[in-house]
Amino acid sequence: MAFSGNFMCTSFKKELLEAVHNFKNSGGSTFNLALYTNSASFDASTTAYTATNEVSGTGYTAKGGELTRVDPSTSGTTALTDFADLTFSTATITARGALIFNESASGDPSVVVLDFGGDKTSTAGDFTIVFPTADASNAIIRIA
Amino acid sequence: MIPELNIDLPKDFKVEVHTTQNRGFTPEEIAERCAEKIISVSDEAHPAIQAQARAFQKRIVQLVGFYLREAVKSDRTTVYNAIKDAGHPDLAELIRRM
Repeated sequence: MAFSGNFMCTSFKKELLEAVHNFKNSGGSTFNLALYTNSASFDASTTAYTATNEVSGTGYTAKGGELTRVDPSTSGTTALTDFADLTFSTATITARGALIFNESASGDPSVVVLDFGGDKTSTAGDFTIVFPTADASNAIIRIA
Repeated sequence: MIPELNIDLPKDFKVEVHTTQNRGFTPEEIAERCAEKIISVSDEAHPAIQAQARAFQKRIVQLVGFYLREAVKSDRTTVYNAIKDAGHPDLAELIRRM
């Protein structure tokens, strides 16, 4: 049981075609980022948020933090969207990865699995997830 | 014949995690992150363009860092007054001197 890379959840792809998710800054869905220990086992088949193996500690509550959506845009023939960086302040936590999920949709359906590549720890400090450059080659969610 | 319509959702994205121990991020550390969001420099760009972009990025770090420090100082003034008004002048003074 461990993280084994980044994954775009297969169920998310289907749900895109069913209009379950809305990434607009104004009026869009509520997306959360939850942190997990390396005991979590997520891959493309992950379908929803779970509290199992979610991290716990000062400065962190179940279901993690709400992400700030950035309006979807296009670059060439690629559509993309982004989130603002997320910080858990004054936090004492250790996490190996994360799950982004739609908190406002029924069942908290998953979007992407993020593998940090190793345990990351903050001690009475800030724990910040920095999203990649929002362009056609790097954005967190792209449709090419 | 209708050509295949292929929609690709890449999984080659990569987030970074920045953490601190027993402190918060400094204005300079946050300014670096901010500048990375404003200006991204392609490794495939012409060397002269890369150099120009990196020089501009460095200037952005300095500028954003300055205004972040101003924001910290201003917020500390607000916190100082809130704590002093709550009847804790000694604690307020400690915060003012930080």
